[in-house]
Amino acid sequence: MIEAVVFAQAGTSPAGRLLVDFLSLGSIYALLAMGFVIIFKATQVLNFAHGALAALGAFLVASFATVLQVPGRWMPGAPLWLRWTLSVLAALALATIIGMVLERIVIRPMLGEELFAVAIVTLGLDIIIRTITNDFIGTQARPLGDPFGTNVWAIEGFTLIPWTIIAQVATTIVLVALVALFFRSRLGIAMRATAFDQEAARAQGIDVGRVFSISWGIGAFLAGVAGIFLSLFPRRAAGVDQSTAFFAFAAFPAIILGGLDSVVGAVVGGFAVGLAQALATEFLTGISFLGVGFAGVVPYLLMLAVLLIRPYGLFGSEEIRRV
Amino acid sequence: MLGRPLLRTSYEADMALFPSVTQRVVFALFLLFLVAIPFFAPGTIGESGSLPGPTFLGTSDWLRLLVTLGIYAIGALGLNILTGLAGQVSLGHAFFMAVGAYTAAVFGSPQGPLWGLGLPIWIWLPMAGIVPAILGTLIAPAAVRVRGLYLAVVTLGLVFIGEYLWRNLDFITGGSQSGRTFPALEFRFWQEEEAVLSMTEPATWFGVLNMSPTAKTYLFVLVLTAVMALVAKNLQRTRTGRAFMAIRDRDVAAEVMGVDEFRTKTLAFAISSFYAGIAGALLATFIGRTIPEQWNLNMSVEFIAIILIGGIGTVTGTLLGSAFVIILPRLVADLTQLGERLVREGGTWATILDPLVSTGSGDWGLVNTSAGVAPGLSVDQLNLVIYGVLIIGFLIFEPLGLYGIWLRIRNYWKGWPFTY
Amino acid sequence: MRGRNRLWVLFVVFAMLAAACGGGGGDGAEETADTEPAAEETTPDTGGDISEDTTADTTDADEGGAPGDIATDVGVDLEAGVIRIGLLSDLSGPFSPLVQQIVTAHEVYWEDVNRNGGINGLQVELVIEDNAYDVPTHLQKYEEIRDEVAVIGHSTGSPHTVAALPAYQEDDILAVPLTWYSGWVDPQYNSNLMHHGAPYCIEIQNAISYISDDIGGASTIAIASVPGDFGLDGAAGAQIAAEALGLEVVYDGAGKVNPTDEASLTEVANGIAASGADIVVLVATPGAFASIYGQAVAQGFEAKWTGTSPSWSPAFVAPDSQIREAVARDVYITVPFDAWDGESEGAQRFTALMQELRPDNPPFDAYNEGYVEARIVHEALLRAYENGDMTRAGILAAAKSLDNVEFDGLAFPERYTGEPNDMVQRHSFVYRPDLESATGAVVVERDYMAPIVEDFVFEGACYELES
Repeated sequence: MIEAVVFAQAGTSPAGRLLVDFLSLGSIYALLAMGFVIIFKATQVLNFAHGALAALGAFLVASFATVLQVPGRWMPGAPLWLRWTLSVLAALALATIIGMVLERIVIRPMLGEELFAVAIVTLGLDIIIRTITNDFIGTQARPLGDPFGTNVWAIEGFTLIPWTIIAQVATTIVLVALVALFFRSRLGIAMRATAFDQEAARAQGIDVGRVFSISWGIGAFLAGVAGIFLSLFPRRAAGVDQSTAFFAFAAFPAIILGGLDSVVGAVVGGFAVGLAQALATEFLTGISFLGVGFAGVVPYLLMLAVLLIRPYGLFGSEEIRRV
Repeated sequence: MLGRPLLRTSYEADMALFPSVTQRVVFALFLLFLVAIPFFAPGTIGESGSLPGPTFLGTSDWLRLLVTLGIYAIGALGLNILTGLAGQVSLGHAFFMAVGAYTAAVFGSPQGPLWGLGLPIWIWLPMAGIVPAILGTLIAPAAVRVRGLYLAVVTLGLVFIGEYLWRNLDFITGGSQSGRTFPALEFRFWQEEEAVLSMTEPATWFGVLNMSPTAKTYLFVLVLTAVMALVAKNLQRTRTGRAFMAIRDRDVAAEVMGVDEFRTKTLAFAISSFYAGIAGALLATFIGRTIPEQWNLNMSVEFIAIILIGGIGTVTGTLLGSAFVIILPRLVADLTQLGERLVREGGTWATILDPLVSTGSGDWGLVNTSAGVAPGLSVDQLNLVIYGVLIIGFLIFEPLGLYGIWLRIRNYWKGWPFTY
Repeated sequence: MRGRNRLWVLFVVFAMLAAACGGGGGDGAEETADTEPAAEETTPDTGGDISEDTTADTTDADEGGAPGDIATDVGVDLEAGVIRIGLLSDLSGPFSPLVQQIVTAHEVYWEDVNRNGGINGLQVELVIEDNAYDVPTHLQKYEEIRDEVAVIGHSTGSPHTVAALPAYQEDDILAVPLTWYSGWVDPQYNSNLMHHGAPYCIEIQNAISYISDDIGGASTIAIASVPGDFGLDGAAGAQIAAEALGLEVVYDGAGKVNPTDEASLTEVANGIAASGADIVVLVATPGAFASIYGQAVAQGFEAKWTGTSPSWSPAFVAPDSQIREAVARDVYITVPFDAWDGESEGAQRFTALMQELRPDNPPFDAYNEGYVEARIVHEALLRAYENGDMTRAGILAAAKSLDNVEFDGLAFPERYTGEPNDMVQRHSFVYRPDLESATGAVVVERDYMAPIVEDFVFEGACYELES
């Protein structure tokens, strides 16, 4: 909520613009990174298919809200915002189920294999989901049909976009809820125990399969939310298109920055990368020797710099090795 | 000596590349077949003669495919040394290939609006390997510090940083979406007018062999691939190769045994980058003109897929994997066309294939050859899906890849008709 | 369990082997769009027939009747009565929205020609290949159809076409480039390529000139584009127009847009919004255009926007689009051809044909580009037939002797003789987005050539592709 208030002060001044950039990029990166980390912590899988899942989530919203009109078609009198919200929830529920099904079919058989092999499996998964989703998306961008339009509220000389505020609030709620789940709930403890040692967790009576399944469900859900935020005005005003899936690669620096297995690190890493990119966009564009598109590689450079100093990220747990 | 297959009486026999006479003969015949491929096409020998064999292999579009195969095999051999032998997962192979390609362009292309020194192939081709190898050595210290999946992501970053570099170094790369031309495959002693041997002009060899440019390129790449494969195979059998594998299997244990981890990993990066650079230079010169966007993550993933599908850690597997990954899309495309023709012709085949093939805007089916017009996946999309399924399928069901399947078939026949 | 898995893998491998054997047999059987194989050899041209020969100067030589007199080499089979035309199309890459419709238009055009007797009795078959907007793929696909086709009906993408040009030249094959790069008129590329439509560089000059007349009092302009000939040719045209019209360039982001890099989109949007320009020229892919436009508008920035025709997508004004009203207010588009529901005779006839042969396809303006390309090839083939030389070189020579190819108002007449300055197309259609229109945009000016364009001396490509 504090974010929203700060945001309302933002205008089109450089500082305001910076803030808008930082928060909107940061929240998307944080959501993506959180999804990565939750999947990694529970199942030790580096999920390269995350971007494809994000595009899939956004596409499901576009289909439910505009083409299929689910559940809107059964409630003709309801206001647009309610129909749309229900469509989003239905789409995200489906995305979650798809995530769980994928885990069951593709990831579970790889249990106990090398981490590298499982990561490559997700590369294959990425290709499959991306291709099929893109075939469904088709060649034109698919608008998400949200009720916000291009309305810009002008309050006391400042402009603000209603949708991005909602996105900020939603991100905050989701992230806080997940951190709470992870550190306070039974399920969270089970997940942490599984992450620590699968066999020991199983010996303690934890249903490891269920933990796997739920963590992939949460991961797909978070990817879907990030996909929605990415596909709305003003960021991708025309809607979800075939290039949406590529965005998630830019979130890799965020997870590495925070450490692959740190939930808090994911949030910090996400916002740090968002800040770095926003700052680079604002201040480094005029410097000619940096050339074109420098802001796009700032996250990777930041990641390299951090890894050289701390090879396991800022919050990641260090592997102990002795010779 | 025709003996029992697993009975070895000396260390030399144990180390031999082809321990049995049968293997040597089969391999020699296979090499001969490969050399003969361009001459299967009609009109390649004398007026209208050709060697008996599968004619389609000798046509220029298949030869092009085989050249691509050879070049990809060289690149994959490099990645196999780094990932398969030394166990260092790299998604940055495309980056080193790009470095090789642009090194070739700088040394080999004539001076124009873009950088070019106009030097002959015997300088630019080795340089295309050496420069990436030096770069690999320089990057290695950073890569050695991080391990496992962190390394995978760091090398992923390398691809994106590379894309940024290629976009901005437009005096070398020609700039984004415009690209540049690359030196032709021509042998010259120095910068003389007439090339000694040109892969871009047709020629008649020994008075009877009519060589098309593609056929010449094919033979050149074939020789190069064979040499590079032999070097890779031999590397595996040396002290260095064994050090790579020791690091892969357990780095701590390897260090205890006196293998210098830093030195070994750096060497693996350097050798792998050398192979990548040569492959990149050949690919770029073969295509003739490439845009910087071509050296992207998809290319890196393609090489990972090759070594995984083929069988990680083995030279034979890498070669098998290259053939599989490069030729499969062509087969799928041809099969789709065949299916579509059968459906159009009607009959029993039409009933069977109709759910699979979509022929027009009203007909639902899995795949079609007129994308955007008919529903269903396009052939290219189907190929991508198959490629994804294969990566997953091999990792889950057959981690040793095609090589593993080959081993099992061989072992089965070794003892046949006895089970043990 | 393990054993069964292995059996499965073996099964897959055997299936692959079987596929490999089958694949050899299927080799060479390319997809054809010839759905009306029954040739009605001598059907006279009917009134509504688009194959009606209106422009090629008939030389009245007696070569016409007997096909036996005609020289042929690749792609023309007089005995079977077939001409094969290859299309190297982007069916799965970034420009596939546009190109897929253009391919459909090719199919419809030739189906109609075929059912009306073909080209003097010769049936046209299309061989369609997907280049995926990738240079190596483009070259490989050309290689696959190299021994089959007489003409390349379109060759998608500038770097791709330039890369394939040596092969085209080697084969003396005619190719219609499906890009509006200004270099195609230039002698260094002109040998085998049939340019058509105002190139990006000139199209953008028309657009800027039209906007500045339309709104009056514009004094500043912001320019941004993707890299490569598509973006930089347009950006170069914008610079020329700005100078000619006395507009101050307040932001220059030529080549700075990278559609897959989110940060570059934000950077350009911020730059444009901060510049406060009256006119914005943004030459980019539709996705990048929408993203930059959205982010600039979100900062309260308002101006008139334009890009070259491939920057536009009807999805911008689709019923569920968030930016539809803003786009309808702000955007102008210049296009080389008439609209789906355009007033010209050619457009109305071709739309009627599309509706007849592809009744389920949604309306799109881009079908007309397919008509233009097919028409050029058609004229070239007719001229080659008259000359009695339907070899590839003969078709090429015939095409390069065409001095007036007309499109019945669907596009502006093209000529392929004379100096580059005479050949280059200078006319454009001006469109505005329209929320009511079926295709999302309507023509507001049918034949527009800005005074600055009329005076513009074309000396060579506005943006040089480096070699």
